[in-house]
Amino acid sequence: MCEWVPARATASFTAILQEQQAQARAKAPTPAQVSDVNRRKPVRMIKDHYGSYSSIAVDLTHDEVVMTDESLFNILTYNRTENTPPTATMSEPKRMIGGINTWIEFQCGVYVDQATGDIYAVNNDTVDRLVIFSRQAKGNVAPDRIIRTPHTTYGIAVDEPHQELFLTVQEAAAVSVYRKTAKEEEAPIRLLQGNKTQLADPHGIAVDSTKDLLFVSNFGSVSEHDRTAAPAGGEAREYTSLATKSNWPLARESAVPGTGQFLPASITVYPRNAQGDVAPIRVIQGPKTQLNWPTGLSVDPKRGELYVANDTGDSILVFSITASGDVPPVRVIKGAKSLVKSPTGVFYDGKHDEVWVSNFGNHTATVYKATASGDAAPLRVIRSAPLDTPTPNIGNAYAPAYDSKRDQILVPN
Amino acid sequence: MSHPQIAIFARLANGNAAPVRAVAGQKALLARTTHGIAYDEVRDVFMIPNFYAHAIQVFRGDANGDVPPLRIIQGPKTQIKTPDKLMFDSVNNEIYVPQGNKLLVFDGSAQGDVAPRRILGPAQDLAATLVGIDPVHNLLVVAGNTGRAGGRFAIFDRTAAGDAKPKWVIQGPHADIRRLMGPIALVPHRGLIVAGIRTNEELGGDDNFVGVWDLFAKGDTPPLYRIGGPSVLLQQVRGVTLDPKHKELIVTDKRINAVLTYYFPEIF
Repeated sequence: MCEWVPARATASFTAILQEQQAQARAKAPTPAQVSDVNRRKPVRMIKDHYGSYSSIAVDLTHDEVVMTDESLFNILTYNRTENTPPTATMSEPKRMIGGINTWIEFQCGVYVDQATGDIYAVNNDTVDRLVIFSRQAKGNVAPDRIIRTPHTTYGIAVDEPHQELFLTVQEAAAVSVYRKTAKEEEAPIRLLQGNKTQLADPHGIAVDSTKDLLFVSNFGSVSEHDRTAAPAGGEAREYTSLATKSNWPLARESAVPGTGQFLPASITVYPRNAQGDVAPIRVIQGPKTQLNWPTGLSVDPKRGELYVANDTGDSILVFSITASGDVPPVRVIKGAKSLVKSPTGVFYDGKHDEVWVSNFGNHTATVYKATASGDAAPLRVIRSAPLDTPTPNIGNAYAPAYDSKRDQILVPN
Repeated sequence: MSHPQIAIFARLANGNAAPVRAVAGQKALLARTTHGIAYDEVRDVFMIPNFYAHAIQVFRGDANGDVPPLRIIQGPKTQIKTPDKLMFDSVNNEIYVPQGNKLLVFDGSAQGDVAPRRILGPAQDLAATLVGIDPVHNLLVVAGNTGRAGGRFAIFDRTAAGDAKPKWVIQGPHADIRRLMGPIALVPHRGLIVAGIRTNEELGGDDNFVGVWDLFAKGDTPPLYRIGGPSVLLQQVRGVTLDPKHKELIVTDKRINAVLTYYFPEIF
């Protein structure tokens, strides 16, 4: 292989090099070489061959638990009381929805309608559709209903009394509210977006219908959006939607250059029906909170508590729903015995007074007493892979790089 | 995608391998799916764009865990807007940030709210989505998608700025650059461009491939090589990178949700 030489070298030296390089340049390959390369198989493939649970919800009516799997792109349903024995390879789901017809890919949020068992699953940044399946759906089937959503929706919550569906939108730093029964191209009915909202890379969302409160978890990266900053044209889907749909969030086209900020992680709290550019009524934020990429949220309305899946904190944080400012959680589930590892989903089961956690980092879903604290062992564990199977945690790996100093491959999600 | 991270795997990692280290967490300031990354072997740092915070973050080469970046380029003077990809020129110590109708070029040591060293564009037809730098021939490849005409490689002088026009373009039905997504790679001493090509299926399809083009071919010239195509594993190719020492091509694929390594001595 020729040595790379910068083009700043002297002209004569460069001329010699370029002659050498011209000789080194690829000659047209033979048809046999072309055919051989075309059929070439990879010598290695880094891939999680088992399901990685990302979001979770319990069907209290049918005694089932539903999880989204971001490794293999499935929605998985198990018996609620499933408990994978330590000696078992894994638990087989009762039903599995997955395949090209399902429009399921990187699903970060799931909601189960307690009356019907319908499953609502949020696709994140590769499929701009909320997909809705009947409880009995399985296999490679088309969704029963689809709602076209803004790009990068993440969390989902439903306010049943008002029949409204809430989605967080990462890119737009927004919350889009739809009629629960919306379908296809129907526009949102409300939008929460703007600098005053303090929404910043919003992830999880929860509604307390009894107290009319809306909770949103935020990672912190954000920029300003201004409709006048959008180009007067363009083919991007967000811009097209902006022109045709009401309550559609301002997104990348409307981002104002140079306005990016890194804010601390937060939980922002709003009135349930907040809309427009309104400030939160409370913000949980600061070093005492232990927030470290707060992701899934779930509310226990009876105790007045908010559960937070604290992804890189490897913990579940519990706050009072009236918490405000830099306050410590009232309880924390964390530690080796707890099996909490990169939790991205959490669900409070009020019927059985249990809290469920989807651990993206270790192929498990774990269940605890609602009042569990510290390094509490789970009551039950559902495992999707053999015990201690490593997790690459790859999700929509887009841009690889090669570290030639250490002979390592860099893979951002 | 639920869990942002920069996972670092051993070169020989395979199957359900755990990363040897990973950068993730509040201090790391990552956001969303990170669509670009570049490693600078001279200074032993890697860098990523932050789409939401309009920033470029530079990390130590051995960064691990919830660690902050060494440097951040961010602020009104930078003109950075929703950066999605980037490329680094180790030889000339420059960071390239494509932004559609313009290409921002920063000093590789830049920090804070600094203006770009130079800007190519703005030009309505620049279509700057991806960048490749050839420091040997002093060339810059600006790659992007141009509507119905499909993807394109536009080759400029490396230091092109302002309203400079491409020296030549590779594009057309035979070139078959249908749609570019993730980072491209150059093999400067062989005069080659390596790129992942996806088809228009939203989720994935059998016609995705990694192509290799002659950098000096002009116009509607077909690729010299393809890996993939009908029923050859790849489903929706994202980006590529190269390991010249071991003559390997590394490819990411969204639908397979995997990182694939091919032995590809023909291009080195």
